[in-house]
Parts: sequence; C-alpha cells; structure tokens
Amino acid sequence: MSLRLENLSHRYGSLDTLQRISVQAEPGKITAVLGPNAAGKSTLLKCVIGSERPVSGHVYIQGSQVTDLSPRQLAQHVAYVPQRSTVAAAFTVQDVVELGRYALPRNPSRIQNALANLDLLELAHRPYPALSVGQQQRVTLARALCQVEDNGIMVLDEPTSAMDLKHMQQCMTLLRQLAERGITILLVLHDISMAAQVADAVWLLERGTLVASGSVAEVLQPDRLKSVFHVPFAWIQETAGRRRLVALMQSTVNVDTMEQP
Amino acid sequence: MRPLAKRQFLGLCCLVVIVGLTVIARLLVYRDISGVLTWEWTGSDAMSLRWTAVRVAAIAGASLAVSGVLLQALLRNPLASPYILGASSGAALAVVMVMYLQSSLAITWNLRGMDTMPAAVGAVGTLGVVYLLGQKRGWLDPISLVLVGVVVTAICGALIMFFHHLLPHGLKADLVTWMMGIIRQGASTSELIITGSIALIGSAIALFFGRAMDAATLGDDEARSIGLSLGPLRLVLFVVAGILTSAAVALAGPIGFVGLIAPHAARLILGPKHTVLVVGAALAGIALLIGADVASQIISVQGGRMPVGVFTALIGGPAFIWLLRSGRGRS
Repeated sequence: MSLRLENLSHRYGSLDTLQRISVQAEPGKITAVLGPNAAGKSTLLKCVIGSERPVSGHVYIQGSQVTDLSPRQLAQHVAYVPQRSTVAAAFTVQDVVELGRYALPRNPSRIQNALANLDLLELAHRPYPALSVGQQQRVTLARALCQVEDNGIMVLDEPTSAMDLKHMQQCMTLLRQLAERGITILLVLHDISMAAQVADAVWLLERGTLVASGSVAEVLQPDRLKSVFHVPFAWIQETAGRRRLVALMQSTVNVDTMEQP
Repeated sequence: MRPLAKRQFLGLCCLVVIVGLTVIARLLVYRDISGVLTWEWTGSDAMSLRWTAVRVAAIAGASLAVSGVLLQALLRNPLASPYILGASSGAALAVVMVMYLQSSLAITWNLRGMDTMPAAVGAVGTLGVVYLLGQKRGWLDPISLVLVGVVVTAICGALIMFFHHLLPHGLKADLVTWMMGIIRQGASTSELIITGSIALIGSAIALFFGRAMDAATLGDDEARSIGLSLGPLRLVLFVVAGILTSAAVALAGPIGFVGLIAPHAARLILGPKHTVLVVGAALAGIALLIGADVASQIISVQGGRMPVGVFTALIGGPAFIWLLRSGRGRS
C-alpha cells in the first residue's frame, strides 16, 4: 500500500514542527525515519496515523487523504506502535493483543500467532501493568501484528528502545518478514547503526525539514550525519565483506590535562 | 458477545445472590411506630412501602454504579466518581435555591417529593456547563473535564453554603438530611417509571459500548489507531453518565461513594472488561444501596434513623483509602 506525504507542514503553537515535507514510502520496504531530538519524527508518524492534523499539505494512503478517513477505515490500513503504550486497566497480555482486532473481524489464530511470534505465549494471562517496559513493547508490537493486513502499513516509533538484544533482533527479523509480505514499514529509530542494517530507505529529518531521503547508502553519508547529529560517523568494513555504520565516540574532556588525585 | 469466563460467571452469580439477600432483608425489616425493630412479613401496605424503597435503592444504586463505570472509562481514572463532574453539587444548589425561594415567598415546602425536579434540573444544568468548558480542540478532554468539574463543584459548594446560611432553621436540617441521601418509601410511580427507564436504557447503552470502553483504556493515539472514534465515544459516555447521575440524585439525593466503590468491587470480582463490568457494577450498586438502607433501618441512634449516605460513606471511605494505598487507583 503506497504512502505519500505531499508538502506536509505541522505546527504546535508558534513552533513549526514539520515544514513542507514531500516524500514517499515504498510498499514492501522498511523506511527508517531518522533525526536528532525534536526533529519532528514522532509528529510525522502522528500525521500518518491521523492523530495530528497538518496545517497544510496532505498524507495520502493508496491515493486517499488520511484526514478523509475515519479511525475505523484508517485502522484497517495502518497499524501503529508507539514508543511507550499506556493501558489504563489491568488487562491481561492477551486482552491487550486482542484490541488490535477492534476494527476488524475476530481472528483467534492471528492473536495466537502474534503472541507466539513475540515470545508472549507464556505471559498471555499475566496482567499487562505487571510486565517490564521491554515486555510491554513486545505486547504492543504483537497487537499491531494482529491488526496489520497484508499490503497494509505499519508505523513504529522506537519500538525496541527498551527491549533486550535477543528480542530486538527478533523484532527486526519480524519487520523484515512483514516487509516481504508487502507491508510498508515506517520505523523511527535513534540507533543509526541499526537503521543502516535493517532499512531499505531512509528519511533524514532535522528541525522539521527533510534533509535527505533515499537508499541507505545515499542518505547515510558520514559528512551529512555529522552535520545533522553533531557526532562523527564512519562506515567500517566487516570480515564478511559487509559494511557497518558506526558512531565514533568523541570525548569533550581531555583526559591528559586532568589532574591526578 | 463473547462467552463469559468461568470466573466471571461465578462472580455474577455471587452478586445476584447478594442482591437477593439484601432485597429479602429489606422486605423483612420492620420498625414500628414506637421504634421497636422486628423482622417479619407484614401486611400489604407496609410491604408496598418497602417494595418502593427497594426499587428506589435499586434504581439509584444501579444508575450511580453504571455512571461510575462510564466516567472511569471516560476520564481514564479509576478514582473518578459520578460526582466529580459537579452533578451532585449542582443538584444540591438547585434544591437549596428553591428551598430559599419557597421559604422567602412563604410557600409550604415539601422536601420529600418536590425536590425531584429542581435536583434534576440542577444536575443537568451543571453538567451542561462542565461540558461546554471541558473541551479541547472541539472534543471533550479528560483532564480539562476533571479540572472544570472540580472548580464548578467548588463554586456550587460556596453558593450552597450561602443559601444554606439564609435558610430558616427548620429547613436547614431538611437540606442536610437530603444531602446525605434518602431512600424514600413514598416515591411516586411516575418517578420510579422515569428513573427506572433511564437506568435501564443507560445501562443498555453502557453495555453496547463495553468493547469501545476497553479500547478507550489505551492512550489517545493508540485508541484511534486501532479504529476507535474517541470524540464521539466521550460525548456518549459523558451524556449517559450525566443523565444517569441526574436521575439518581433526583430520586434519592446525592448519595456518596456508590459510583466509586461499586465499579471497583465488580472489577475485583469480574476483571476489567467493561461489558461484564457494567452488569457487575450495577448489581454491586444495587446490593450496596439496598444493604445500606437495611442498615439505616436497623441502626437507630437516639430514636432516629441514620441517612443512608452515612452507611455508603462508612463503607466507601475506608475502601477508597484502601484503593489509594494499595495502588489500585493508579492501575
């Protein structure tokens, strides 16, 4: 399902959070949305899911404007995973995952598959508030998993920020499998190295403007990244011939000049 | 509708049994003219009065409890109660204003019947003000609603004190008694039919929106992303909860804590899913209010019966503190 942003601008009060962004996400690909804090990444996602209304411009899903679709219609095309989910009731994990089918016909096997795909079967009857934040993120992802239909769109805002390494890798593998089924993945990440590994395309934002968009190799150039993030980056060669993007640590304190105790 | 879990079925059965026991107790308890307490099945006139009291308590208890469920879902706050939006203080203000006007115009005032209409108008009017002021970007906003509700309640409280100060001494006691809640044995058939219909229709609407209320426990963005139209749902919950509260206050006065405790008792027994919770809370509210009325019949202090609100508050107050201390208020 195609996702297109056309001259999208958004404002919080007097603050321009997004400025005339025009870009398109390809179906069946993982598009990483990158940028420093307050670049407008989460606001952009909220415009895509219809939670925020742009001051000008439009978001088109399969040719329809998002603002013209009801929440029920939109939920049939787009699943959303926030950075931190809030559930104001002591529902079990299974109850929360079932909410993913709220606007869709019941499908118990989808729910069981989603639980199994995220290692949640053993936790299915545990109260959601009793889980760790990382486990809660898996539950939220499972809910989106049983919501999103083939050829649909999945929008994720830092979905793995509190997950352990095993589940983080599991999550990224899962997103790749979803993309191979034709699902459009829009993924906000702070880990630029991970984005370079998992994404097919990148949108790079800075202070509400789109600095660059395109393939990983085109966008994630060390000079450009340094000017946006103010941190040096480098591509390093791995033994298997693959390249990996790393952020280089920079110390603001000169250790040599520090006094010894 | 999905099949009930075994726990939910057993819980609902227990609540039905408790309601039955409180109804039987209320029909049996009898205090004669000299104040002697007996438990007996007496003549049809006395039984008719007790049936009326049972129906008043059942309608008010169910209305307040279902209203509590709706408001806790609307405000996403398990400590919300039907009076948080100012319905009771608005009703009390209207009643005290009418009492003052009647007394100043030297018209005989019969508080045990004529308070229904001013209380209903006061409750609905106050909720209307809260509705108008509790919006953000054109839709009801939970935080704005609570803040406006608190402010409106405080303003109504000040005005109640003002008019209470102006009332003749005889009426002051009547007002205080009304504000603690009265389960009237002399409620008219038309009052019972109107408020009973409101309770039934309101509960049916709450049942219909049970799954939507489950979805509304998610944050705004998430709830919308799974297909929930939050704005219209909040409007429905506000209107239905407001009408249920107004009906209960008009029928039995602003009885405290039923709308807070009944949903929580049902939640502890039946779990958090709203479809079952609505039924369970209604049963718990009925049992609590009829039980409190039985207690007010039994316990006589200095020859007078305690208002029913004393007993709901005595049960509800400690339960409220327990909720806060145990952290359930945050879950």
